[in-house]
Amino acid sequence: MLRTLTLLTLLALSPLASALNVVATTTNMAMLSAAVGGDDVSVTVLAPPDRDTHYLELRPNMMVSLRRADLLVSVGAELEVGWLPPAIQGTGNRRLNPGQRGYFEAAAQVELIDQVPDADRSMGDVHPMGNPHVYMDPLRMAQVGHALAARMGQIAPEHADRFSANAQAFAERMDRLVARMTEQLRASTDAPPGVLLYHKDADYLMRLLEVPVLGYLEPVPGVPPTGRHLNALVSELKGREGVMIANPWQSRRGPDFIGRELGFPVHVLPTNVPVDGDVADYEALLMQWVKAAAP
Amino acid sequence: MNRKNLLAAAVAAAMGTAWLPVMALEAASAAGTLGATGIDRARLTSGTQFNPQISVILDGVYYGASREVEGPAGFGDGHDHGHGHGHDHAHGLEEGFNLRETEITMSASIDNYLDGVVTLALEGSSGIEVEEAYLLTRALPAGLQIKAGRFLSDIGYINRQHPHDWLFVDRPLVSELLFGDHGLQDNGLQVSWLAPLPFFTRVGVEVLQGEEGIANYIGEGPLKEKSGPRLVTGFAKVSPNLGFNHAAQFGLSGGYADAFQQQEVHSSGRSENIDGRSWFAGVDAIYKYDAGGTYGHRNWVLQGEYYFREVDADYRNIDQADVLLDQFASRSRQDGLYVQAVYGFAPRWNAGLRAEAVGLTNKSLETNSNRSNFESFDASYRYAAQVSFAPTEFSRLRLQVNLNDYAHDDGDHAHDAWEVMLQYNVSLGSHGAHQF
Repeated sequence: MLRTLTLLTLLALSPLASALNVVATTTNMAMLSAAVGGDDVSVTVLAPPDRDTHYLELRPNMMVSLRRADLLVSVGAELEVGWLPPAIQGTGNRRLNPGQRGYFEAAAQVELIDQVPDADRSMGDVHPMGNPHVYMDPLRMAQVGHALAARMGQIAPEHADRFSANAQAFAERMDRLVARMTEQLRASTDAPPGVLLYHKDADYLMRLLEVPVLGYLEPVPGVPPTGRHLNALVSELKGREGVMIANPWQSRRGPDFIGRELGFPVHVLPTNVPVDGDVADYEALLMQWVKAAAP
Repeated sequence: MNRKNLLAAAVAAAMGTAWLPVMALEAASAAGTLGATGIDRARLTSGTQFNPQISVILDGVYYGASREVEGPAGFGDGHDHGHGHGHDHAHGLEEGFNLRETEITMSASIDNYLDGVVTLALEGSSGIEVEEAYLLTRALPAGLQIKAGRFLSDIGYINRQHPHDWLFVDRPLVSELLFGDHGLQDNGLQVSWLAPLPFFTRVGVEVLQGEEGIANYIGEGPLKEKSGPRLVTGFAKVSPNLGFNHAAQFGLSGGYADAFQQQEVHSSGRSENIDGRSWFAGVDAIYKYDAGGTYGHRNWVLQGEYYFREVDADYRNIDQADVLLDQFASRSRQDGLYVQAVYGFAPRWNAGLRAEAVGLTNKSLETNSNRSNFESFDASYRYAAQVSFAPTEFSRLRLQVNLNDYAHDDGDHAHDAWEVMLQYNVSLGSHGAHQF
């Protein structure tokens, strides 16, 4: 029994004992952590890519990953508020407490749009500090990458130069990606007609691409589309051109209704790369959005 | 010491916490260096930095019953302090409109070592009870955590949940009848350890004062005085790693109370006294399936718990002139279980079924007719069905129907009762998070 326990303990402690243990909340954050950390980090992800990070429920095994983590990389701005705080609290890993070096929020590293300082809950599940979905903006992700490299460098100073070089390489890739995205957009249209989104999760990208957002299927954030709201959208947008983009986990009924009533093409696109996805996956994901937004 | 540290120290001092120099680790604040944007922020939160996060739960129930509901035979009141037999309404609900406890929770980091949590329950309109008020360490090494103060014990699964986390309107009978109206909630200390294994394993022990329910204590009159702490509990929880979509947890728990006392004083002045010790053991299992739909659509939650309690007691029947009329020593053995399943049949909607049994073994703490031993009773059963609708994360409406098939003191089962409950449960204030 004792021998088994010792063995199990060693097994638990062994994976890449020398590398920095990074736990990322989402697959996009895992992608960024791996891009910046390179071979000097091992990355575990808590939330699967195919569902709404905000509504995830705590699983006990999240704490197993967090217990041995040196660094937790989250999207932040309370996107993970429903499950991450109790997960951190339940692990008792002092390195990850907010304010410590091991706690990193992407949203806290960049300027956020849609800040609503005077928000209240009648406006839905708003984030008063700003829109947390910064991972849909490659330029903000590049900024986050630099901040993350600095943080990783504080924890593992021996690799600091490599982290910062990786972050620089990532940022340059993102610059090139934005150039490619703009080119793609201009090649298909001079004035993109605009997109109708399900939730406010692609606003950063649309702003970057200068594609107008025509509206949202949710009447207020966190509340699924109502018939009344959909009808209002239809009468408001009747006769206009546009594109409907939803996420895989959202119900197809609202988007299909819009497609039928307004003749918008309906796209269902992911916002997170697959598990173990890399920078190329992230670039491909964003290019998919560009292609959808520029019919 | 900069201004921030000074403030933190002042807050800690004001809250009466002892500084814990043993735990003094490098307070490695990331604030020392600015990020790429020059923004000095570790975390974005809608809470104000130094005020506790406050949330308020409002809970109201409309209750109707087909007949007056008496408690299951052999379990007295469940929260018996010796004030007569259990002819209370179930769950303390009256027919018509009920305001259930209004819960106010405040939580904050006290300093970089401790979190503080206070939950006050405004019971209907009758008074304030401190439901929880504890400190929790956040900086102990090796996966250790200490909780101190007043808290809901970590035994089993549902015990540590507050009513708004329940998937049904009411507390399972076994929890209410063996552990008390609020479950096992006591003052004391908990040490728990998250083991460094590749799957979730948490074990812990609690040393508790022992005041009510499983460790009911009176300590006056003919009942021996015993100094606290009088209750020790232990628990272990294991959760195999089943990937992103499935989560299961299996638990074992048990406890020993050095004092278990009950007293029933009759109007004549005669008193019946039970003085002894108790122990309990239980198993719990929970499985959750995350289907990846919106707002809980197609999700499953399966949950069940079983507990057994034994009280090794001396019974004494004493008249008003302190003359001992009857006495015997015996063991009461009682148990109970519930199993339930809840399914998200549409986005924002779920429906569930629950089946319960208490007293499958039912040698109670009530005496037989010639006062020579404790009486045994039949088992009691309850079945429940609920449908609930959550318009947003912050509000919920629930309709529940119960069918009670309770045994009665006279051995009769012919008192089946239907109960119907319509509940609202909403939360105000900071965005709540849920434990597993």
